[in-house]
Amino acid sequence: MKRILAVDGLSVRAGDNALLRDVSFALAPGEALTLVGQSGAGKSLLAQAIMGNLPDALQAAGTVEVAGVASAAADHHTRRPLWGRQLGLLPQEPWLALDPTMRILAQVEETYRHVRRDGNAANARQRAREALAGLGLQDKAGHYPHQISGGMAQRVAFAAVYAGGAPILIADEPTKGLDRRMRDEVVTLLREALLEGCALLTVTHDLEVAEALGGRLAVIEQGRIVESGATTTVMQAPQHPYTQALLAAQPRNWPAEPAPASGQPLLTAQGLAKAFGRQRLFAGIDLCVHAGERLALTGPSGCGKTTLGNILLGVLKPDAGRVVSHAARPFAFQKLYQDPVAAFPARQTLRQTFADLCRLHRLDPGAAAPLLAELGLDAALLDRLPGEVSGGELQRIAIARILLLKPQLVFADEPTSRLDAITQKQTMAVLLRALERSGAALVLVTHDDALAERVAGRRLAIDTAY
Amino acid sequence: MNAQTLISFGRSLLPVLLRRGGQALAVGVLVGMLSFLMMRWLPGDFAYRIAAGRYGYDLVSAEAAEAVRRELALDAPWYVALAGWWQQLLAFDLGNSLVIGTPVIDEIRHQLGHTLMLAGAALGLSLLIGLPLGVAAGLRPGGWADRLGLLVSVALRAFPPFLLGLLMVIVFAGADLPAAGHGEAANLFLPALTLALGLAAGSSRIVREAIRNVLASEHYAFAQTKGLPLSLAVWRHALRNMALPVVAYLGVQLVFVIEGVVILETLFAWPGIGHALVHAVFWRDVPMIQGTCLMLALCFVLLNALVDLLCLALDPRHR
Repeated sequence: MKRILAVDGLSVRAGDNALLRDVSFALAPGEALTLVGQSGAGKSLLAQAIMGNLPDALQAAGTVEVAGVASAAADHHTRRPLWGRQLGLLPQEPWLALDPTMRILAQVEETYRHVRRDGNAANARQRAREALAGLGLQDKAGHYPHQISGGMAQRVAFAAVYAGGAPILIADEPTKGLDRRMRDEVVTLLREALLEGCALLTVTHDLEVAEALGGRLAVIEQGRIVESGATTTVMQAPQHPYTQALLAAQPRNWPAEPAPASGQPLLTAQGLAKAFGRQRLFAGIDLCVHAGERLALTGPSGCGKTTLGNILLGVLKPDAGRVVSHAARPFAFQKLYQDPVAAFPARQTLRQTFADLCRLHRLDPGAAAPLLAELGLDAALLDRLPGEVSGGELQRIAIARILLLKPQLVFADEPTSRLDAITQKQTMAVLLRALERSGAALVLVTHDDALAERVAGRRLAIDTAY
Repeated sequence: MNAQTLISFGRSLLPVLLRRGGQALAVGVLVGMLSFLMMRWLPGDFAYRIAAGRYGYDLVSAEAAEAVRRELALDAPWYVALAGWWQQLLAFDLGNSLVIGTPVIDEIRHQLGHTLMLAGAALGLSLLIGLPLGVAAGLRPGGWADRLGLLVSVALRAFPPFLLGLLMVIVFAGADLPAAGHGEAANLFLPALTLALGLAAGSSRIVREAIRNVLASEHYAFAQTKGLPLSLAVWRHALRNMALPVVAYLGVQLVFVIEGVVILETLFAWPGIGHALVHAVFWRDVPMIQGTCLMLALCFVLLNALVDLLCLALDPRHR
């Protein structure tokens, strides 16, 4: 088949540091290629290098051929006129990619009017309406981006890109931050584009997305393609050790955790209900957490998992129902946050943060060092600012901070959802071992059913039936 | 603006008007009361100062002061005087000037026009200076225009307006620009420029920040990658978003304008409301002080309300 996109010997460097090395592939119309790898492996740079909008600090080498016209990867000017018409780029975070001050209909309409230019611009508004209706967004045409959900925003962005009629679609982490249901919606959209004859290049760290898209798979480690082939073949019989590690790190492939022994009730809740304004989150929730137990709260984004956890911790008051705590001492219930960077003071070294904590709770200042060692952390990390430590390390430091207070219950709110699969597996293992040693119970909030199943003995699903 | 936008704009109008209306009322009560009390607490003989204002320091005598005291009932207790003023105010009467005897409202009507002219000219000039400097700095953050702009705006902001005004007089003395007076456009130039420099020092940095943020934003990048030509991406997706913080900052700058107007009008003998206020303080012309303060405060609230409405019109997230 005739190829429409070809990349040959593409490299991206930041000074002497090679971020992408010698990447080559070709795509034909209707074909899907998915690139997977850990965060920081240079996947997103590939999308930018093909488009020709790399940051100025990076240098590209190699060639990019679009619809038979080859140009040097470093030549940003040649491919710019192709944006929207030949090369369509689906944004990473659609909520941020839509103009907050413009109605969504206008944001789709302008692609028909100013980009497609097939002599039918007079009907741009009508065509945009039809495109939105085709994605089930007919009621939202007059809304602004802040009035729609993340999944809807992804559909709007898709409509705005798709309207340009580009035969090549590049999707850069299109499911980042979306829950399972919204992720499946995005995958469906991409598959439809494939059926229409688009060539699809997807960059993701989610192997399930790769599996659902089919086609070919390329695995990137440290900027280099280490394995590629048909997606089903690579997934079933991975050859490269890195691919094997990546597959083993998927929660559904984790070994099952033995359920720890549980003891006396630690926390009982009856008839909990909560609403924000007119939006009812949940009602009539009864639950009991026993000492040492592991409970998972699952459900789609926005269903009130975090809110329920905050009520259990006593941070938030329920509208109805009550929570009875059998904690042995104050501060025995602790929370582990989703975004560790936001959970530490940004302009203070971690050592200072730990020292402040020890002073506040009259703890032995020397207690932190052995804890950090147990969690596999170098104590020298504490001399850095939170932003200078990797996400996985910082989450482990957050775990150490909680353990200092000898918790009886840890409420972990999506603690690994921002980490890539391999780091997620490490971090979750560290957390579970630490809780095992201290005998603390775990309430884990997650939208990943496989993760919940592997980690927790008991699951409570909250759905958005209300 | 289509019908839908107008409806949502209209619906969010009422809270703004109610809030600002309430503020206007509270500000009126506080400013009226404070200016009255502060005048009473000033040392010196009230009647003597007013008499001096009427007849001149050379001609004033103890008898003249006594006559003034009787005429204006200045020995009445302070609460009687305050109650009298409130009574007048409720009838929308600002009273007569104690010194020249004419109604305060007529004086203010005359001065307000001059003040608004000065403030308007200063704001206009500050945009002419601040916008291009901010754009130049924002397009290349960290470049020489940015660093120089930061240095100059910190320096300008650190100068109190009266000192800056004096410097301007000295600098422009050789350029044949009048340092005082009114009536000609040239008279307006120096006070307006002095005020505008201070304003531009702030607004150029806000413009710089707004441009930097929009150019780095994902929605501006998306506007381009979806295929819009650069000019359309700027026109449709950058300008309005850049304007948001700049307009919102205008509300903050109004404090600076009001403060600057009082000082610079006095310095450049510009016959506006600030000039009148300073003179009224000097002559203990209490109704005049209360009237001008009240008018300045109400202007402040009104202009802030206008800024609020402008923000509402520009940013759908506030509606």
